[in-house]
Amino acid sequence: MKLQHKLAFYNTFTKIAIIAILGTLIISFVENISVNSLKQRMVDKRDKFVSNLSVTEINELLQQEKSFTDYNILKEEYIVLTLVNVTDSIPPQFVEEQRSIEKETGTYLILWDYFQYGGKKYRLEIGESMEAVKRIEKNTLYFTLLILLITVSLTLVSDLAFTRFLLRPFYKIVDEKLNRVNDPIHFNYEKADTTTDDFLLLDSSISGLMKKVSDQLLTEKQFISNVSHELLTPISVLRNRLENMLNDDNISVESLNKISASLKTLTRLKAVINSLLLISKVENQQFNKSDNIQIKTLIAEVMEELEDRLDARHITFENNLTTDYYFTGNQALLHTLFMNLLNNAVKYNKESGKIIISDAYPKTGYQIFISDEGVGMNEQQIEKAFTRFEKFSDRKDSHGLGLAIVKSIASFHYMEISMHSEPEKGTTIAIDFRK
Amino acid sequence: MNVLIIEDENSLAMEIAEFLQKEGFIIELARRKKSAEEKIFVNSYDFILLDLGLPDGDGFDLLKYLKDIPGRDDSVIVLTARGSLDDRIKGLEEGADDYLAKPFALTELLARMHAIIRRKHKVEKNEFKVHDFTLNIQNRTVCYGDERLNLTKKEYEIFNYLVLNKNRVIPRVNLTEHVWGDILEVNSDSNFVDVHVKNLRKKLSQMAPIDWFETVRSVGYRINI
Repeated sequence: MKLQHKLAFYNTFTKIAIIAILGTLIISFVENISVNSLKQRMVDKRDKFVSNLSVTEINELLQQEKSFTDYNILKEEYIVLTLVNVTDSIPPQFVEEQRSIEKETGTYLILWDYFQYGGKKYRLEIGESMEAVKRIEKNTLYFTLLILLITVSLTLVSDLAFTRFLLRPFYKIVDEKLNRVNDPIHFNYEKADTTTDDFLLLDSSISGLMKKVSDQLLTEKQFISNVSHELLTPISVLRNRLENMLNDDNISVESLNKISASLKTLTRLKAVINSLLLISKVENQQFNKSDNIQIKTLIAEVMEELEDRLDARHITFENNLTTDYYFTGNQALLHTLFMNLLNNAVKYNKESGKIIISDAYPKTGYQIFISDEGVGMNEQQIEKAFTRFEKFSDRKDSHGLGLAIVKSIASFHYMEISMHSEPEKGTTIAIDFRK
Repeated sequence: MNVLIIEDENSLAMEIAEFLQKEGFIIELARRKKSAEEKIFVNSYDFILLDLGLPDGDGFDLLKYLKDIPGRDDSVIVLTARGSLDDRIKGLEEGADDYLAKPFALTELLARMHAIIRRKHKVEKNEFKVHDFTLNIQNRTVCYGDERLNLTKKEYEIFNYLVLNKNRVIPRVNLTEHVWGDILEVNSDSNFVDVHVKNLRKKLSQMAPIDWFETVRSVGYRINI
């Protein structure tokens, strides 16, 4: 879940909670006030009634009791006087009860007051309709809900808009300074355009990290360069010295053989060093990848170079590529990648076997398949196939780095290589070019 | 022809010098950028073999220095152990005639020098007499009398390389490297070259005896002229 949405959710939730609590408080407060003012009115009315008390009035009221005529038109209040026969003095009390007046039933707040006049005991009942109070309560509830709804929806929109605006520099930093960085050495150290301190901190931390990474890459680059120089120069000396010795007329056949074997060993050493250097350089991003490459043409070139090998082993090559896929990358590296893969397909194929190259367009982009009919590999071997120095045959012409090179070139270009193989049936390599 | 070898690794310079002297070149050595600069200033050379990693400066500066002297046409072959593609491109852009990554074969160096001589001076004859056969470098053909041999590209390359390095044992690895280039893993199975040599010899011997085309057991081949 995005931070923006989390914040919006949190804000909405707290607003609903606050308004709900306030609403409940207001409603109970309003209810209290209305009921209290109602009670006060009834007490006032009783006091007025008691102070103006006269025999005639009592009789009049007693008379009216039967007909309930002393109601105002809205039936909001009434007054009833009854003659009672109680000995104890009872304090006045308020009750809430249902009363039906002229066939209309409603809730009334009722005050019972007992008093003595002229030796007789009476109970005065003053009723006030609760409808008004209930209406106020209902209205308050309605308005509270309305305000709640309006506030929540308005603030939700504004929260979303504001957090989006607030977080924009964050996404910009992530996109520009992390996602789109392929080469830490050419990192853009320009400060992010934001006033939020937290994002400035993030930005400067990323810049600091990139500085460290690029320093390390540069050190490694320097190291690789030094290693190449320090290792390849002595090999060069040895090689040329051996070459000169070969042409010494006084040399014995035995020595000649030994020199030749040493030359072979040296060539092997050179191949291993160069392969390791290549892998390091690729992994250290020391190649540009801005060449426009036509894959079909590239494969045709590689196959042409391997033609004599195909002929020598009577291997047929079937090119079933449907399109000449365009790809932006490093021409020389991709040449090496296909050279290694196709050379393996030749090398490990059976005599008079077949190599089939085909392609497909899955949703992820473009795919090339290279299939051979060779010795194949079991699952354990497939797992280790791309590991450095892993060799499955005792062939002298392999130093176990070919597929490691393929792997590093592929990941440098964000390509994926997978392998399906069955022993004695053949191997299929799938190369995924991502969009 | 005179050659200036600019190389700080003394033993390497000596090996190159020994090899080229046998081929009839006159050799001068420089081990530092400063002394190389002096030599370049005083003399002009047919070839300058330039190592890029000198202890007192970058070889590219020397290349630039040379190219800034008007009227000079010394051919430069850059030698480097840095082995980066960028260096190769930069070297050629700055006006070097060729580029060799260490460790290179001396026979390869000689073949490149011959190629430069042909390209630049156009004085070298394009046809080489190899006993009863004629190798034409211009048309890339081999003829027996008037009859043209039907050689494959690789067979021609092998023959050409052996002829350019005549009277010299050429190890298989050198041949492989020359014909197939410096392709890491592919390069290592050097016995592959034997198949091509076998076919080449068959085609040649159909025309005339080729006892001058020697197989040096377990080492390589030699063409004696």
